[in-house]
Amino acid sequence: MRTTIKVGLAALCVWGGAAWSAPITFNTALPVHEGGYVLREQFMYMKIADDPTPLQRDMRVAGVMSVLGYGVTSDFALFGMLPWFNKRLDMTMGGQALTRHQSDVGDFTLLGRYTAYQHDAPGRTLRIAPFLGVKMPTGEDNARDGFGRLPPPVQPGSGSWDVLGGAVLTYQTLDFQIDSQLSYKANREANGFQAGNVAELDGSLQYRLWPGSLGSGIPAFLYGVLEANLIHSAKDDSGGIADPNSGGTALFLSPGLQYVTRKWIVEVGVQIPVSQQFNGTALKNNYVLSTGVRINF
Amino acid sequence: MKFKTFAQRMAIALSLMLVATSVLAAPLSYRLRVDGLACPFCAYGIEKKLGALEGVQSVETNIRDGVVIVTMKDCATLDETTAKKAVKEAGFSLRKFEPAQPTPPSTPEGRTK
Repeated sequence: MRTTIKVGLAALCVWGGAAWSAPITFNTALPVHEGGYVLREQFMYMKIADDPTPLQRDMRVAGVMSVLGYGVTSDFALFGMLPWFNKRLDMTMGGQALTRHQSDVGDFTLLGRYTAYQHDAPGRTLRIAPFLGVKMPTGEDNARDGFGRLPPPVQPGSGSWDVLGGAVLTYQTLDFQIDSQLSYKANREANGFQAGNVAELDGSLQYRLWPGSLGSGIPAFLYGVLEANLIHSAKDDSGGIADPNSGGTALFLSPGLQYVTRKWIVEVGVQIPVSQQFNGTALKNNYVLSTGVRINF
Repeated sequence: MKFKTFAQRMAIALSLMLVATSVLAAPLSYRLRVDGLACPFCAYGIEKKLGALEGVQSVETNIRDGVVIVTMKDCATLDETTAKKAVKEAGFSLRKFEPAQPTPPSTPEGRTK
């Protein structure tokens, strides 16, 4: 189960960079204008269930990801991301139902993105932007309940300083936009536990459904969105021993809709697992519903 | 000259003077061709940057044509270097800069201060 949750939350962490008119589940290379801000609030709900073991584990995660982007220059933007989680884990032990639950602010991530390549033409642009970030252990990582210390997946924070980096390519025209991202997150040890590193390859197509033909001025766009996320997670390490029930690879498809105006964007999407090949007894049923709003100022 | 004819000619002359005065006093507008502009959310930044320039009265963007019309306040002007810098700060590229209407011969182009 750790793998499934980690894969899901890893995707959520990278969503934070997507503060622009952009993919729903990951980053973009589009600009934040110099001295400008973009605020994104994203609400998500994740369900992980169908445990084949007698534990009958069932986990629900509701979360809000707040992202503030700032254009330091036209080429360099900083993003601060702070999640809030409500995590609930239900299971059966010894014939008795057991619930572990925690709600709190998670770990803060600071990410810098630099536009290394830019080619503009009438009505279209191609950009490539590497990014580098650090996740700080601001969230509670030693939360307890009546049964003792909560397991790592239920903790709001990881307790570790982690590093993430990658690059995103964006090709945008008036009719459609394509984004592709390659990212890697190196997790470090905290409290005797080290989550496996996560590598991710993402792709997104946003196609303008409405209006069919553009008029004058700045009309609002309705985009149909289809995204794919290929996520590989290495095995976790607990007390120096690799956890055989962790690590694996998952492929998600995410259809969605975006309504884009000059000042704001609203969006909704669902991340559906297409393939999940996890090690050991990891759960294999997972979806993420997400809806959000972005504001330009 | 009959009084009626004189009055008619005077009326025509005054009308022409009024028209000429209003044309000369009309605020200047500039037409900017901007490359890379391809979505509504991106247009906000370019309007904000150009709108913040001194002397700018209004900014109108036509995303389909990649054209931004910058209208200046009375007597204010805009130069290409300033416009190019603002477009760059918004994250885009200025392809072409031209007056959207004839520039009065007595008004040299230059950044308004």
